[in-house]
Amino acid sequence: MNAQHHGHALRPYPPGDLAIWVFILAELAAFFALFVAYAFTRLKHLALFDEMQRTLDSDAGMLNTLLLITGSWCVARAVAAIKANHVNSSARWLLAAIGSGVGFLIVKYFEYGAKFAAGIDLETNLFYTFYLSLTMFHAMHVVLGMVILFFVWNKTRRGGYSSHDHHGMETGASYWHMVDLVWIVLFPLVYVMR
Amino acid sequence: MQYKSQAVAKPYFIAAIALFVAQILFGLIMGLQYVMGDFLFPEIPFNVARMVHTNALIVWLLMGFMGAAYYLVPEESETELFSPKLAIALFWIFLVAAGLTVVGYLTVPYATLAKVTGNDLLPTMGREFLEQPLITKLGIVVVALAFLFNITMTVLKGRKTAINTVLLIGLWGLAIMFLFSFVNPHNVVRDKFYWWWVVHLWVEGVWELILGSILAFVLIKVTGVDREVIEKWLYVIITLTLVTGILGTGHHYFWIGTPEYWQLIGSIFSALEPIPFFAMTLFAFNMVNKRRRDHPNKAATLWCLGTGVMAFLGAGVWGFLHTLAPVNYYTHGTQITAAHGHMAFYGAYVMVNLAIISYAMPLMRGRAANSNKAQVAEMWGFWLMTVAIVFITLFLTAAGILQVWLQRISDNPLPFMVAQDQVSLFYWMREWSGVVFLIGLIVYIWSFFIPGEQKAAA
Amino acid sequence: MSEAFTTSTARNIFYGGTLFFLLVFLALTYQTEQSIPSRDKREMLADPKVVAGKKLWETNNCIGCHTLLGEGAYFAPELGNVVKRLGSKEAVKAFIQSRPVEGIPGRRSMPQFNFTDAQLEEIASFLDYVSQINTAKWPPNIQG
Repeated sequence: MNAQHHGHALRPYPPGDLAIWVFILAELAAFFALFVAYAFTRLKHLALFDEMQRTLDSDAGMLNTLLLITGSWCVARAVAAIKANHVNSSARWLLAAIGSGVGFLIVKYFEYGAKFAAGIDLETNLFYTFYLSLTMFHAMHVVLGMVILFFVWNKTRRGGYSSHDHHGMETGASYWHMVDLVWIVLFPLVYVMR
Repeated sequence: MQYKSQAVAKPYFIAAIALFVAQILFGLIMGLQYVMGDFLFPEIPFNVARMVHTNALIVWLLMGFMGAAYYLVPEESETELFSPKLAIALFWIFLVAAGLTVVGYLTVPYATLAKVTGNDLLPTMGREFLEQPLITKLGIVVVALAFLFNITMTVLKGRKTAINTVLLIGLWGLAIMFLFSFVNPHNVVRDKFYWWWVVHLWVEGVWELILGSILAFVLIKVTGVDREVIEKWLYVIITLTLVTGILGTGHHYFWIGTPEYWQLIGSIFSALEPIPFFAMTLFAFNMVNKRRRDHPNKAATLWCLGTGVMAFLGAGVWGFLHTLAPVNYYTHGTQITAAHGHMAFYGAYVMVNLAIISYAMPLMRGRAANSNKAQVAEMWGFWLMTVAIVFITLFLTAAGILQVWLQRISDNPLPFMVAQDQVSLFYWMREWSGVVFLIGLIVYIWSFFIPGEQKAAA
Repeated sequence: MSEAFTTSTARNIFYGGTLFFLLVFLALTYQTEQSIPSRDKREMLADPKVVAGKKLWETNNCIGCHTLLGEGAYFAPELGNVVKRLGSKEAVKAFIQSRPVEGIPGRRSMPQFNFTDAQLEEIASFLDYVSQINTAKWPPNIQG
């Protein structure tokens, strides 16, 4: 392993491109600000938030948490596989990760469907403004993460990555982990914590 | 100067500075009207002076952007401009149209101007910053399209770099967003909603792309740092700009009848808007620290660093001060907005224009840099104008805080005009700072006429 | 591809990130358009006087001195709530009509626009319409 062939091996952290990390930090800053705003608003309207939180489907939330964690694990397996030059298996793991994203969106679709059917929207009350803004904004990130994984999968499938060169895959994987991380904070904050 | 056709930038830069002078003179008139309400009344009422002040600003910044594009694109694309003749023709059309519009503002009542220029066909006039008559607006569209055609053709036939690509995206975005100036629904809420697509998505969106690419170009030239490094930074900065700036539009949708969730979205994303400006400051200083050559044009480097710092302070910090909805509830539509506007426009767009002018003008006049004496004078201009704008901003902020307190927060809120009388001391101090700014501008212009020993063009 | 930070990745993130946030913005725009009929008093636009008043508001460049819902110049009072502040449309009309042609010595003064009675009614109707828009309780008090 010398620096000529493995420039990134000299700096294993952060994995992936520095540019994606700037983007990830900006996104985390946005979510962090949203979470702080949520926390303060919740303190001011404790009764409303407590009551409204009970109307959420926490089983669906739990299921989605499992799906995203599984997705993150799949992506990690994909990176490990490409490092061992197992191109086909890496591509399959990526597909599985995309699948977990699809699952997440299906669950979310039914969850939103039930809420909209009950006549709830962004302007129902403060809690639902937060709930819908936060979760929809996050769901859009899931979609973006899936689009990125799709491009990575496509390139992997065609042999674009190898044990020597998987910088792009690590870049995409980092983004997907961020999407997962945000949900792992969001889920207890919005669904569970009372 | 590497390509002959770059010289078409020169008249653009000269006209830009001339309009800059007009902008400042009318600014001083308005400043005086704040404390001497009958000054020039009814010959030049405040609203007319303000139109000239803001419209001259917009037009001269656009002139500067166009000049910058004409200078920068041939050099980046490594080819002559597609059509220098078109560029010169557009210059005169744009200048004459701008001149006639100002004459219209100053000589006939606005309602008459609206009538004779066909506002009845498609009412678009009488909205802040978009006061131009319909024919002027159409003229802007025609000039912008022909200009974009010229620039795009040049880029297409030459080398594509991050700098000219980002500049092109910014300029196209500028033209496309301007089309919303023709959207004027009867419904006031929708009118205001789409009005911001021009105003906000210009200054906190696509204009920042133009700013970034001009700054990157000048920094490559004066520091000699690798293009590769500078272009990466450029992409990161403009990504942060649009990621925060597009949804940041929401900070204008708090109190105009739009749904209340905008208070959340607007607060969050506009609170992040200082990040790209901070990155720009770091970028400018980093590149200058890593410089591989000492360019003889010290003044241009100073303008670049100034852009980084003042854009961050004016757009970033002063924007953040009043962008959170609970704060903005009290500060919306007060002198605090005016304070932010002054420093942000100067720090971001005035300074980046003066940076490219400072870099390019000596080259177009056949020398690598101006004489030492001329540069010293230019730097005096820099410091006088910059310090003056800082004080203008501070005095307007003080006036704004007092205004908010007296008119909005105290137990017995005072009527608007009574509160205005209470803060007039700050308006006087703002006006005197404005005089210093004008002196700085005169010194700056004088620096162009200082000859002396000159180094031959590199 | 062994660089830790590549221009091509930075460029792709720029295009992707911008497109993403643009789509979010357009989705919110759509939602806003769906939701504002309950807040913007659009039914009042059925009155041609309101529409004509808006045009008079524009062609006399009122925004060059005043603010409307906080937007505009900061030289003269907020007019989004002026009908409520002065108490009636009639009071607004009387104020506009009473402005001296030569101004007030030493003080700011609104120009005399010589509006006809019909035009005054149109402007007052427009301001009355604006005063009824749901602005999330802004301004903080009647002084604007």
